[in-house]
Amino acid sequence: MNDTTQLTEREQGAVTHDPRKGDARPVTVAPAVDIFEDSQGVTLWADLPGVTKDQLDVKVHDSSLTIEAQAVVPTPQELRLHYAEVRVPHFARTFTLAPDFDTSKIDASLKDGVLKLSIQRREEARPRRIEIKAG
Amino acid sequence: MSDLYFGTDLFSEFDRLHQRMMNQVGSFPFSIRASGVGTFPQINIGATDDSIEIVAFAPGVEPSKLEVSIEKGLLTITGEREPVEPQESDEVRTYAQERFSGKFRRVVELPEGADPDKVEARYENGCLTISVGKRESSKPRAIAIQ
Repeated sequence: MNDTTQLTEREQGAVTHDPRKGDARPVTVAPAVDIFEDSQGVTLWADLPGVTKDQLDVKVHDSSLTIEAQAVVPTPQELRLHYAEVRVPHFARTFTLAPDFDTSKIDASLKDGVLKLSIQRREEARPRRIEIKAG
Repeated sequence: MSDLYFGTDLFSEFDRLHQRMMNQVGSFPFSIRASGVGTFPQINIGATDDSIEIVAFAPGVEPSKLEVSIEKGLLTITGEREPVEPQESDEVRTYAQERFSGKFRRVVELPEGADPDKVEARYENGCLTISVGKRESSKPRAIAIQ
């Protein structure tokens, strides 16, 4: 067994190849996500099959949250690909975060190719009940 | 951000849209048993001289809920993926639910030379890798010239 990504290599078609970007930037697919919000914050789940912890990059810059990952599927050498539904081993997706989220409190965990991100809301942005004084 | 578009690049968004459309209208035929692009899990198939390699991209499935069987030259992958349930509360709002949940079944027609007695399956990082050996007689061999 050898760690190659041959099984998910994509031929660069004319449509997906953007000459402005050159060859430096790989073609990526946007992973499917589930997003829920409760009073504490937002939880995001993303499907990243074949991604290990060291191939995953979650970045927050200004108000954008970027998930970038690369899938590595161990396959034997000399593998000839016959049929492929997954053609791109690179995942990328970006979300913008409203200022009420505390970007310093983001929890990320990866299990069985599923990323779970918990993004907390700022203390002062959490819903609270306002007392009405009688008088 | 150097991108013209928000989010990731436009093509990957198209890719995802395309997949969702294929989900709705069905895709062009491969095999009568293959359900094509847009199903869960997605499958890649390759071969070496000694084996047929099948990778099912099935993230977040309990290994105990995955089943692989071979019968009459058909390899079947079945299983179930539980939906992620946020804590029961009236305040929970759902903004996106793109990930597949529920029962799934995928069938792969194995070629003639596949040996059903030599199958190995491994689930790792959300990928199910199945390796099916080939019969001795179907392996490529050099023919001696007299």
